[in-house]
Amino acid sequence: MFADFNATRVILGVLQAFLLVLFAPLITGIMKKVKARTQKRVGASIFQPYYDIIKLIKKDETVSEQSSWVFRLNPWINFVAITTATLFVPVVMAYSPFGIAGDILLILGLYGLARFFLILAGLDVSSVFGGLGSSREMMMSSIVEPAIFIMVLSVAIVYGGTDVSTIVNSAAQSPLLIPTTIFAAISLFIIILAETGRLPFDNPATHLELTMIHEAMVLEYSGKSLALIEWSKSIKQITLLALLINIFVPFGISSDVSALTLGLGLISFVIKAVLFGILIAFLETRVAKWRLFRIPDLIAIAIASSLIGTTIFYIG
Amino acid sequence: MLENSSILQFIVVSYLAGSALSFVPRHGKLSSVLIFVPSMTAAVFEIILSLGVLFGNPLKITITNSSFDLFGFDILVDNISAFFILVIGLVSFAVAMYSIGYAKEYHKKKTSFGFLFNTFLLSMFLVVIANNVFSFLVFWEIMSLTSFFLVIFDHEKSENLKAGLLYLTMTHFGTAFIFGSFLLSSVQTGSFSFDSFRHLENSNSLIKNASFVFALIGFGTKAGMVPFHNWLPKAHPVAPSNVSALMSAVMLKVAIYGLIRITFDFNTVTQEYVWWGVLITLIGAASSVIGVLYAVLENDIKKALAFSSIENIGIIFVGIGLAMVFNAYNLASLAGLALTASMFHVLNHAIFKSLLFMGSGSILFSTKTKNMEFLGGLAKKMPYTSVLFLIGSLSIAGLPPFNGFVSEWLTLQAIMMSSQIPDVLLKVLLGIVILPVALTAGVAAVTAVKIFGISFLSRPRSDSASNAFEVPRTMIAGMTLLALFAISLGVLPLIGINLISLAFDIQAPQRGPFDPISIQNTSGESFANLSILSIIMLLGIVAIGTYLFIRILGKNPQRKIYETWDCGFGKLDQKTQYTAASLSQPIRTIFKFLYKPTLTVNREPHSQSNKFVKKSSSVESKTIDVFELWFYLPATSFCIKFFEKIRRMQTGKVNAYLLYIMIALMLLLIFARFGS
Repeated sequence: MFADFNATRVILGVLQAFLLVLFAPLITGIMKKVKARTQKRVGASIFQPYYDIIKLIKKDETVSEQSSWVFRLNPWINFVAITTATLFVPVVMAYSPFGIAGDILLILGLYGLARFFLILAGLDVSSVFGGLGSSREMMMSSIVEPAIFIMVLSVAIVYGGTDVSTIVNSAAQSPLLIPTTIFAAISLFIIILAETGRLPFDNPATHLELTMIHEAMVLEYSGKSLALIEWSKSIKQITLLALLINIFVPFGISSDVSALTLGLGLISFVIKAVLFGILIAFLETRVAKWRLFRIPDLIAIAIASSLIGTTIFYIG
Repeated sequence: MLENSSILQFIVVSYLAGSALSFVPRHGKLSSVLIFVPSMTAAVFEIILSLGVLFGNPLKITITNSSFDLFGFDILVDNISAFFILVIGLVSFAVAMYSIGYAKEYHKKKTSFGFLFNTFLLSMFLVVIANNVFSFLVFWEIMSLTSFFLVIFDHEKSENLKAGLLYLTMTHFGTAFIFGSFLLSSVQTGSFSFDSFRHLENSNSLIKNASFVFALIGFGTKAGMVPFHNWLPKAHPVAPSNVSALMSAVMLKVAIYGLIRITFDFNTVTQEYVWWGVLITLIGAASSVIGVLYAVLENDIKKALAFSSIENIGIIFVGIGLAMVFNAYNLASLAGLALTASMFHVLNHAIFKSLLFMGSGSILFSTKTKNMEFLGGLAKKMPYTSVLFLIGSLSIAGLPPFNGFVSEWLTLQAIMMSSQIPDVLLKVLLGIVILPVALTAGVAAVTAVKIFGISFLSRPRSDSASNAFEVPRTMIAGMTLLALFAISLGVLPLIGINLISLAFDIQAPQRGPFDPISIQNTSGESFANLSILSIIMLLGIVAIGTYLFIRILGKNPQRKIYETWDCGFGKLDQKTQYTAASLSQPIRTIFKFLYKPTLTVNREPHSQSNKFVKKSSSVESKTIDVFELWFYLPATSFCIKFFEKIRRMQTGKVNAYLLYIMIALMLLLIFARFGS
């Protein structure tokens, strides 16, 4: 369907990636607001993450004397890798022009690259907090990996590819959920919670050393480095949400290049993204953080879910 | 243009010259040049020979007298050999260059080192070109013995001797099985030439199966497959680092070569033998998980790298096994994909593992320790080494845009393609294999983070680490070369993939080096594409955009260098940072069924009356290798018991021995009369 490669599509592909990058802090802001309201607080404005990023970029920064170039380079690598990954995700139209360069596994690879440097940066400052966060992040990332890949396998066998455009295209053409995709969706939802450091895996709102993972690694960052890290975290969250939305609930996504369908696709994506954001935020007020060594149980649910889905697909 | 046969002679002569020149008694730099320059020359000729064969004709030399073919030295350099010669050549060139500087560590015993080093390289080269049983086994044995002597090169330490003996035992255990496999095949054909093995028609399936299992155990032992892997993490770390690099990067690949010969050249896997492929895949998956889970716990850099070799061999096995399964179901293009994945990983692992072993050698050279708990802060002391080591780490972690990512990507794609196998049970089984492979990928990345992060970042944890210095230029040059290979094979993987398609006769559409790798699904849509070159360009564009954005928005903020936040408790020092052991503690807790960690706290009170005032306290944490516990210890104790029973025969009395002789003679006579 999208075999021809033309300039309009490339521009649209870049635009939808821009949309994700710009929209990302807003989702974070909305989630914070929802969380505040459900906890009977007023909460900051939903645009607060934007103000924070702009303020941080303008501020001076302090760098630990113990750190090496890895620490200084990490925010850039994080931001660039995670932002590049958004180019491969269809958002408004069921197609990403960069599908010829990479697939879901590449997106995961880029996230892996970002995480690699983030963990190193946590170790680089030689503070115990950094090491603690790195150590926990190492554990999380290594056990999440099997869940992700078995989920990718079950999606790939249903929709005939790991190429995101192929997946979203087939999903958009046959939007009926079959058992396998439902199981895969459950598993991807758990994975998103784990990957973006939400409760019950990690508490994004705390700086208490007993509970934190992500925040502990980035504790030494300030100024524009912190801005880049915070922003890239939001971008990663919305990119993963976009994958979840467009693979499992692709209703309304545009499959051709006309202004009407694109507008419809944009509106439906924004609504779905906000709904998922609210759902996650609401869940966060309902669950407490799990003990670190109970996290494997939750990951096991994700693995089992995809495994059941895969087996059903093969047998059925 | 040189003839292939004369290039072959050049290679052999260069290695022999290197061995001989190491006896020229000279000290200082010149002697290392005399030892290692011949190896480098030979490596260059190896690369030329391999390319000459790949793009030209195979080279065949027959020396055997047909009437007496048991003791023959036949040589055949075909495309499969050529690929492995390329691996040997690329890695050994860089390692030899590195060794010129590194040999300072061994300057007192350079003579024997040079001799063994060159002979070891020569024997590996000869193994992959041998074309009959006798020559193969002779060269195989030379390879095993020279590597044994290199393992125990620092023979002053009893630990090294112990590791060496274990290696010697295990490698001969493997050789026995290889010998058995060849014997079974030659019983079928009546000849000891590999040529006859290739034309083995309608043979007995029982013998064929037995021959395969023997070969798998034999070559698998040498390759470090689970459960015959226990020698590897003991022997590889104690060898000099340049030898560890060769052993992990090249010698294990020679074992893979043997397995490939048996499974893809001598036999064709039909549906009857599909379990061969399934077995190899499952063993590979098990090896990869076991290898990496022990690697992540290790605090000894070289030991961790050795465990990670087991892991990578596992990934290679998964590819080989899948290729065999696909072949059995006549899915030729998928078999090509799986075999490409696995052979590309052979090449990649050879490159990044030797890079990392040389990096650990540099650390050892500079700090005299390979225990991470005593390292740290080396990124500032050894800037070049740290960057090169980081490239190796990223590559072994399977991250884009480095070569490890591409082969891991291909392997994962091959696993996903198992959905096209018609057999449902097999589909489910091979689909589940993605779980161990994914876990491996995740933990391997973490292991690389741990090794690099603890050794090179944060504060030095000991005096030797704070006195570290950058290593000599030849060592850096050798590592740089491999780092460049790792990057270029990552960015332009089709260079390697096209060579592999050529070497293993894989029918793939011809693609230029700048094209994306693309895989189609059954309905002809794109299943997946990968073009690291485009990704690099995208990353570059995004990076420039981000930089400009931050610069324009952020005006010109200042950067202040200040101490790490210490919660107001005062000075942080080397004791207040995370250690290697604590870094992997969560993983150790999760997989405790495998490690069986034990924690002993020893407290010594000041006086018996008051146990709460302590004089000293110490904590000791241990983990156990479950294979050692459940597999090796029972096996060895069984052997010892068995041989103790046999020993009763050895009474020491002449009469008894005469009786044995008589019994044997009578049995033989009876056999001769009534047997057959």
